Amino acid sequence: MLEEIIKNYLINTKAKDPALFNDPALQVSALELDSLDMVEMLFEIEDRCGFQLPDPSRYPKMAFREMLDDIEKAIREHNNGELPAFSLEAGK
Amino acid sequence: MAKVLITGMGAISPLGADLPGSFARALAGDCAIGPASAGIAKWLPDVLLASAAAEPHTMLDAKHASLDRASQFALVAAGEAMNAAGITPRPADARRFGVFVGIGFGGAHTVDGLYERFQSAVQSEGKRNPTVVHPLSVPRMMANAAAAAISMTYGLNGPSNTYSVACASSAIAIGEAFHAIRDGYLDAAIVVGCEAMLTPGSLLAWNALRVMAKPHAANPARSCRPFSQDRSGFVLGEGGAAIVLESAERAHARQQPALAELCGYGRSSDAAHLTAPSSAEQVFAMQQALADAGLQPQHIQYLNAHGTATEAGDVVETESIRSVFGDALQQLAISSTKSMHGHLIGASGILEFALAVMAMNSGSLPPTATLETPDPRCDLDFIPLQARHGCQVDAIMSNSFAFGGSNAPLVARRHPA
Repeated sequence: MLEEIIKNYLINTKAKDPALFNDPALQVSALELDSLDMVEMLFEIEDRCGFQLPDPSRYPKMAFREMLDDIEKAIREHNNGELPAFSLEAGK
Repeated sequence: MAKVLITGMGAISPLGADLPGSFARALAGDCAIGPASAGIAKWLPDVLLASAAAEPHTMLDAKHASLDRASQFALVAAGEAMNAAGITPRPADARRFGVFVGIGFGGAHTVDGLYERFQSAVQSEGKRNPTVVHPLSVPRMMANAAAAAISMTYGLNGPSNTYSVACASSAIAIGEAFHAIRDGYLDAAIVVGCEAMLTPGSLLAWNALRVMAKPHAANPARSCRPFSQDRSGFVLGEGGAAIVLESAERAHARQQPALAELCGYGRSSDAAHLTAPSSAEQVFAMQQALADAGLQPQHIQYLNAHGTATEAGDVVETESIRSVFGDALQQLAISSTKSMHGHLIGASGILEFALAVMAMNSGSLPPTATLETPDPRCDLDFIPLQARHGCQVDAIMSNSFAFGGSNAPLVARRHPA
């Protein structure tokens, strides 16, 4: 669901080409997100998980898959190892 | 000095989703005033509002959906004005094209939304973290958010300035843009006024000031009653309005017809009281605007009054108009269109100026729609109840007087004069 939430946001709000996400080696830098885009994107997760993700400046150096794994790791650390069931619909 | 022409206008107001619609409803004497939403009425049962006639986000691209409502009003009004002026994004002279915005309270909806979210999270018993809020909250609520949105949307590289001078904000934005073009610093400008603060937080604050109208027993829609003996205060409204200003040289070069010539701007400060107006400085500002235009009082046939429907405001403005116009009052028709669209605070000056320009060009003058029993101290021709048609109007004045004591009348005349 994490991946769906982020992809939905990037496609629907930032008009990114859905075909980009077919590439398993997709780099975050290839998404051409500026710093505001990045924090907006992360808010889609933060709004659902209830805490602020640390240091978003790390993500442009990662592959898209690595970023998702990193976010999932941070969420699990805040939830005793569990990954809560997030809604695709934002809570804002 | 350059002659400054108005080549496009637009508005989204309580009276209509565009300027022609707003003007038509003003001529009909329709009052766009109604009750507040249930969430507000629960706490303030008597509060009245003049909500915009359309939801601005429905008139914009999806990418503007997250902007504060005030910025959305600004973009809608600017779009209408730029279309009317035949101006497309990224003009060749973008560095000579400025953005001038007037707004009273930037980002009221964003601020209220933040507090609502915070309170909701605090009461969620740990289910939600109150400190997690949208990262664009600051860019949404900053006072110059609308100016930024317009300059980026239209690729305008000239100055993008925001004036926050309460009820005179957008009149001052018009005046400063006018002088910037007249004096050769710019060749064109889009001027916008916007306001969106019909939120619980701001209405609580306005209610505490004891200036809001009480519901009129016979018809609550007619509760804003400027210059009336039974006035009870003003009604807050929301919306936006815009005008495109160009030097005559620029407009003529591209064969763009002009709607009017903007020719006079006065400004002064009462330096006396936070909310009570001063006639002496209003008079000075109105005389300054006439002198700026090179006109005499007898040259003005229609004046859109500030006319808020507060006792102090109405009586002092009447005294000021009487002092400035003297014998010329015989040919001066005056109205307060706030009787119909309420008080749009930062957007009021430009909306009323635009309505006055339309009145000049059409010869039809909107009324003070609720003036059934005039206050004896307000004994001028305030066009009571019904519009007046077939009038020859060569020049107009529009008054804006703000809390804090700022006065900003504007003068426009027909083009070609």
